[in-house]
Amino acid sequence: MSRRFHVLALLLLIVPTYSRAQQTPPPPAAPRAARVPRPTEQTLANGLRVIVVEKTGLPLVAARLLVKTGSEADPNDRAGLADLTASLLTKGTKTKSAEEIALGVEALGATIDSGAGWDNSFVTLGALANNFSSAMKYVADVVLHPTFTQDEIDRLRDQNIDALSVAMQNPAQLANFVAARALFGGGPYGHNQGGTPESLKAITRDDVVKFHRTHYRPNNAVLIVAGDVKPETVFALAKTLFGNWSSGGQAPPPVQSESVAASGPSVVVIDMPDAGQAAVVVTRRGLSRNDPQYYKAIVTNAVLGAGYSSRLNQEIRIKRGLSYGAGSFFDFRREPGAFNAAVQTKNESAIEVAGLIGGEVSKMTSTSVPELELTPRKATLIGDFGRSVETNSGLVGRIGTLALYGLSLDEINAFVAKVQSVTPADVQKFAGEKLNGDARIVIVGDMKKIGDTLKAAYPNAEVIPIDQLDLNSPTLRKK
Amino acid sequence: MRRRLALFLLPLVFAGAAFAAAPAKKLAGATAPATKLTVPPIQLKHRTLANGLEVYSVADHSSPTVAIQVWYRVGSKNDPDGRSGFAHLFEHLMFKSTAHMPAEMMDRLTEDVGGFNNASTRDDATEYHEVVPSNYLETLLWAEGDRMASLNVNDENFKSERDVVKEEYRFRVLSPPYGRLFTALEKDSWAVHPYKRPGIGNIEELDAATLTDVQAFHTTFYRPDNAVLVVVGDFDQTQLDAWTDKYLGVVPHPSTPIPRVTVKEPPRKEVKRFEEHGPSVPLPAVAATWLLPEARHADSAALSVTAALLGLGQSSRVYESLVYKKKIAVEIEVDADLREDAGLFIAFAVLSNGHNPNEGEKALLAEIDALATKTIPATELEKAKTQLIASILRDRETNNGKAMDIGNSVVVFHDANFVNAWIGKLQAVTAADVQRVTKKYVTGAPPVLIHYTAEGGAK
Repeated sequence: MSRRFHVLALLLLIVPTYSRAQQTPPPPAAPRAARVPRPTEQTLANGLRVIVVEKTGLPLVAARLLVKTGSEADPNDRAGLADLTASLLTKGTKTKSAEEIALGVEALGATIDSGAGWDNSFVTLGALANNFSSAMKYVADVVLHPTFTQDEIDRLRDQNIDALSVAMQNPAQLANFVAARALFGGGPYGHNQGGTPESLKAITRDDVVKFHRTHYRPNNAVLIVAGDVKPETVFALAKTLFGNWSSGGQAPPPVQSESVAASGPSVVVIDMPDAGQAAVVVTRRGLSRNDPQYYKAIVTNAVLGAGYSSRLNQEIRIKRGLSYGAGSFFDFRREPGAFNAAVQTKNESAIEVAGLIGGEVSKMTSTSVPELELTPRKATLIGDFGRSVETNSGLVGRIGTLALYGLSLDEINAFVAKVQSVTPADVQKFAGEKLNGDARIVIVGDMKKIGDTLKAAYPNAEVIPIDQLDLNSPTLRKK
Repeated sequence: MRRRLALFLLPLVFAGAAFAAAPAKKLAGATAPATKLTVPPIQLKHRTLANGLEVYSVADHSSPTVAIQVWYRVGSKNDPDGRSGFAHLFEHLMFKSTAHMPAEMMDRLTEDVGGFNNASTRDDATEYHEVVPSNYLETLLWAEGDRMASLNVNDENFKSERDVVKEEYRFRVLSPPYGRLFTALEKDSWAVHPYKRPGIGNIEELDAATLTDVQAFHTTFYRPDNAVLVVVGDFDQTQLDAWTDKYLGVVPHPSTPIPRVTVKEPPRKEVKRFEEHGPSVPLPAVAATWLLPEARHADSAALSVTAALLGLGQSSRVYESLVYKKKIAVEIEVDADLREDAGLFIAFAVLSNGHNPNEGEKALLAEIDALATKTIPATELEKAKTQLIASILRDRETNNGKAMDIGNSVVVFHDANFVNAWIGKLQAVTAADVQRVTKKYVTGAPPVLIHYTAEGGAK
């Protein structure tokens, strides 16, 4: 109590003193130019493309070996195959056990990781510059000579099934699994990348070996390296480590063609009793990475849902206190991926939040974004870009994306200009074309608390009790 | 997410999968580092302004950006009585209006020009940071000075931000399957120290907070003689010094003393067990904690190496044993959680389907016992140290990462030079040091043991 009296007294002292200080922010000085590093590249005789960016400073190097096939190639009843195959690479080779690989890599102060995205499988390495060559030997070994022993397959399958049981109890994660089915139905993007307990149990060692043999080929792969290392050193090392990798005289395997097959209800609620919070996902078909409207898309999304001051976060968090964070993103893939807006909120406000998302999206299509708003939103994109190329792993990620989709590496130097060229008219026209029309709404939450607000807003919503949910089925329901 | 609470000592990430290394015999075959890892020292400049503000700076012109951080020596442990979560709620309000800035102006000065900002409330301190194109440095120093000197939050802002924090509580604690465990871990581990209270608070105590509390907290703790400014990146030292004087040197410091937490956590006398529950816990978990001395204690480096040997990476002992060989856990974590007043040694496992906390507890304790009593191969010790130092190096890839290390060294270790000295301390740790500290603080001291399972049995 006495402390509060002190407080008031002090406040009176402080404020007048300080009010003599400068009352408006000093303007910025002239900007200093950023240096965007230039990649150099070579393609080995076997077709492996090797891209290097030298970046001095700290004695660190990052590398990524990309195979241009991922979860899109999972067979219908084998969801999770690409990810399981990639994750098993580090679990044993012809000459090293899983334990020896982990130990060898970690003794070098390095980290190795592997997994699958929708359009690619990858092995990433974070290494120290002074022993980068030794660490890269492990990358080559796990990509070229994995053994896929039954024991390791079983161990990883059990772990993944356990991890899924945890994810399925987390409203936000479950909502993403459901949204993929709601949008893509039985198509290649409709399943969960990590699979389901049923699909993981169906995967055999033969499936894994065949997936590796079919897709892991030098003419279907790219090696990207960034950090404190000379390009000549990397090219020579790549020849030594990957020169004997053979494509078996075959062309790279064709990529899956995408087909959208969703026909289910437009609003799905998964009733999860005791959910501590509801997850709301509004999902619609987005764009492919190679779409000429890519830059219009990212600028549009920067206004709507990327970053703290985007419209969704302004309306839902800052103005109304309905969430810790609200946002949206385009998942750019080889074929059009999803455009999702996602929010977590208390169960009682799930329907209100779904309505707010819809309102903000339609405002993008009906009114022009003022320049005064557009300019800072573009700045956030340019700033994010600049920071991402400050780290080795960020550089590898940016360049890897360009290489994966066959885009020119020069685009890394054109990013700023391309973002700047998008106009308010572009944004409104783009939103009208791509964000209009039917979205699907997925809510995972506690129906006891969501209550009648659901039927009032969405009379045709389908409510699926969590014990009736089947992620293997395009209808999402157990038969 | 921004304006976050650094609450998760043990982030639950089901990363990839399992495997780990065998001990001694296979270690002999491991590739040794080609040369000893050298870490370039951080070249720190230090000033103390007349009003008590400490300023640390590191010039680095490799990219045209700069990171600005202000650390206040007030954290969750300073939450007023009956106001758990207040320091964190307050952190959110520091982004609202001041004498010269409307609400959210920090976003205009950072995000809108291609930068970003965020803050975190820790046990011992609250940290605010901005990363901006370097030509905005002067603007941000003005803004940090302004919100240090004044805060004018209105009732509407206060209430809506309090609702945001309640959503953050649901997001972190109620919604994730293991969210409640981390609250329980602190509550059960501390007898008297305020570290026992949840930094995120709870709905009732957040509801009890008032606008008067907010102004009182600002006046009591947000003052130059309780703050540390860290600037890392592309700047001119003479300009920085002049701007610091102009915008932060003018903030007056009150003559009232700054309240400090003086509570001493007593040594534990006996083993304590707790059964904790959550509504959606598909796999049970077990956690064990032991008390550690203050972060700046001479044993801290050896304790960090001990935790790395047990739990860092897939070649660590606990990972290898529980996840890879015995297959009784899907996720493990061993951490020497060093804090300003006293720390915790934490060992934790999420068990595989079909396995129970008793099994997990037994296996965890057995690995720790083995480390304390059986010979530690030199190559294994070297591996753990290399891992730790490499991860420090990776954290320093960005200006903001470097600044974070410096700020943490100042407020938690009471010495900025810890950023450089710590590396040497880690390198100097011997196998005998590891065994001595393991015996002293862990195997020779009473643990708190927590079993975490689903309410009403497994679902």
